[in-house]
Amino acid sequence: MAFPAKITLAERASVAGRVVLAAGGGYGVAALATALLSLTLPLTRAEAVAAATLLSFAVMAGIVVFVFAQRSLLRATVAVTGLAGLLCLGLWLAMRGLTP
Amino acid sequence: MTPSILAANLGLSFAALAALCLSLNRHHAEVFDRKAERAAVLRLRAFGWAAIAASLVVAGIGEGWAFGPVQWFGALTGAALGLVLLLSYRPRYVAPAALVALGLAAVPLSLAVFTVSP
Amino acid sequence: MKGSFRQSMAWLHTWSGLIVGWVLFAIFVTGTASYYRPDITRWMRPELTRAAPLDAPALGAAAERAVTYLKEHAPKARGWFIGLPQPDKPVLDLFWRTRPGEPPGHAMLDPRTGTEAAMRDTRGGDFLYRFHFELHMPPLWGRWVVGICAMIMLVALISGIVTHKRIFADFFTFRRDKAPRRSWLDAHNVTGVLALPFHLMITYTGIITLALMYMPWGVTTAYKGDNQAFFAEAGWVTTPRAPANRPAALAPVGPLVERALATVPETLERLSVVNPGDANATVIAVFEEPHGLSHQHPQIAFDGVSGEMLEVLGDGLKPAAKTFTVMTGLHEAHFAGTALRLLFFLCGLMGCAMVATGIVLWSLARLPKANERAFFGLRLVQALNIGSIAGLPAAVAVFFLANRLLPVDLAGRAEWEIDAFFGAWIVAALVPLVRPQRRAWCEGLAAVSLLCLAVVAADILTIPGHPLRLMGGDPLFAWFDAAMLLLAGLFALAARKVLRYEAPRKEGKRERDMAQGPRPEPMAPSPTRAPVRHREPTHA
Repeated sequence: MAFPAKITLAERASVAGRVVLAAGGGYGVAALATALLSLTLPLTRAEAVAAATLLSFAVMAGIVVFVFAQRSLLRATVAVTGLAGLLCLGLWLAMRGLTP
Repeated sequence: MTPSILAANLGLSFAALAALCLSLNRHHAEVFDRKAERAAVLRLRAFGWAAIAASLVVAGIGEGWAFGPVQWFGALTGAALGLVLLLSYRPRYVAPAALVALGLAAVPLSLAVFTVSP
Repeated sequence: MKGSFRQSMAWLHTWSGLIVGWVLFAIFVTGTASYYRPDITRWMRPELTRAAPLDAPALGAAAERAVTYLKEHAPKARGWFIGLPQPDKPVLDLFWRTRPGEPPGHAMLDPRTGTEAAMRDTRGGDFLYRFHFELHMPPLWGRWVVGICAMIMLVALISGIVTHKRIFADFFTFRRDKAPRRSWLDAHNVTGVLALPFHLMITYTGIITLALMYMPWGVTTAYKGDNQAFFAEAGWVTTPRAPANRPAALAPVGPLVERALATVPETLERLSVVNPGDANATVIAVFEEPHGLSHQHPQIAFDGVSGEMLEVLGDGLKPAAKTFTVMTGLHEAHFAGTALRLLFFLCGLMGCAMVATGIVLWSLARLPKANERAFFGLRLVQALNIGSIAGLPAAVAVFFLANRLLPVDLAGRAEWEIDAFFGAWIVAALVPLVRPQRRAWCEGLAAVSLLCLAVVAADILTIPGHPLRLMGGDPLFAWFDAAMLLLAGLFALAARKVLRYEAPRKEGKRERDMAQGPRPEPMAPSPTRAPVRHREPTHA
């Protein structure tokens, strides 16, 4: 709970970066995962959308915790953007599959 | 039916949590002014977890397996709050209160058993 | 972050909790009060008395009167919503929507005459209920703000669980006679841990109630953004029908009501008339939820012109769609009877207490040393703490008081009540800025206590049918007043504890203008600079 008496600019920037990454990256990954799962879960369409949407907020919470738990902001950024990239790719393939 | 099932849940939860609480050295000392013996600790823990499980079964059978767990959680939380307040203000009353709670839980339960199996 | 996983989670818990703490407190208080929304509404509309349930023909006739009124007052509307009279709420509660973005029209009719019901204009418990998820902001903004706060709350819960070193060993530990930070931390842990299943459930399900607004992307990709199509396929609503854009007369709704009642055994709650006056008009009869966790209303759709029964929607939901409705149902707890509802309410109070103790802990952990001055952030947090923990309950009490004291026929009365609520809150939030901290706590808490007493007094004095004045009066008034008396007592107790508390030496100098406690009682409860330990404010 204690916080350092002097907070350097670098530390401030690191915290700000994490907040941005956690909020933007967390929501982005959750949104992409929802979209992808809605198309790919082996259920009826409505069930897939409902299940994906139900899960999405747990995904986002997990990403936020992950971002703040990482020692280096760079590593967290790489991991989150990598995951988002993979999901994007998967979503692109899934949407192409829908409209051949 | 519902109020008596809830009463049984509250009573069982209170007795169970009180037993688990008394199995912890700090609280055992607060209530009895001495450390708990190893055997007593094991007995209290076994009773505590068994009563919590029994409470879930009672809630499930009495209220159905949709409502039962909800009521089980609610009763655990309510009983725990009462126990913590009692422990904080009147630690001496914890053990007698747990026995009374167990007795109160037994009344609706035995009634239910009698009405179900005539 | 620097340090261990637990340290970074502690940091996350502290700061995520602080930035949304005050809003969360308001959400928790108004949400907890909303468990009794119908009762609060009924208390705020004392002109309405309970009525015997109507039989099918009478209900049909009442619906006909509603349609007559709507044809006259809202002929161009895209949809009419007719709340049918219930024993607890014996009025026709009408809404209509004309075009998107426009606020809906609203009227309340006497079901026996079809004329506007004679009663005071008030938002009732609906104000607190909507504040809970819209904060009295424009709905879209408010819901997003609340959603973001709920998400941060979820993160704060998870990081809090990680931070808590000894959940099981300290499960029952509440050391109220130890140093302030210790007992406050204990109180925060106990209220958080004991009701943890509730906190996790209520936070997650709360987000789920508005999930499709926050996370529409599944519907976007799988349904091209067509929410209605998704709802219909999931089995939540009857299949939507586009308007034919040809006028046709609406079939009489009375017989439809009777047929609906003969088909589904639940209580009929409301009728929706979609595209009235169009050849493709639909009349949907919506029933109360059957006894169960799931928030799913049985529905029957009729063709609005021919009266043909198009679709009967029961409880045939698939697992994921069912989970959705169960989560919504758990959040709203419509299923809870008196005793279970009380437990939910208690859990809600523990949520309020958890948030309140959390934000107070932040300021306790940063108290200045003997020869330091309080930094600006600390002063601000302290004032905001008082402004919300004492200020919001005071505002709710003033809201109730305004309901009793404003002239019954005042124009714009409902808005006046809300203005009184916010006026009181603003005053309660500004005063602590210019008062010494502990004095401000004491005054704020005492003020809430007095306001609750004033509500009781005003209720007894202005309601001729109050059970204390009239044998056989509605017991609701007595229950409500008893709850207010209980709150008044709790707040008075809290104020007294702040007053009696003897400050540690070094703080004595800074606060010498304050009443000093008479003696250091070894068992004195809650030696803290700030008050209220257990249970937090909220209104039944």
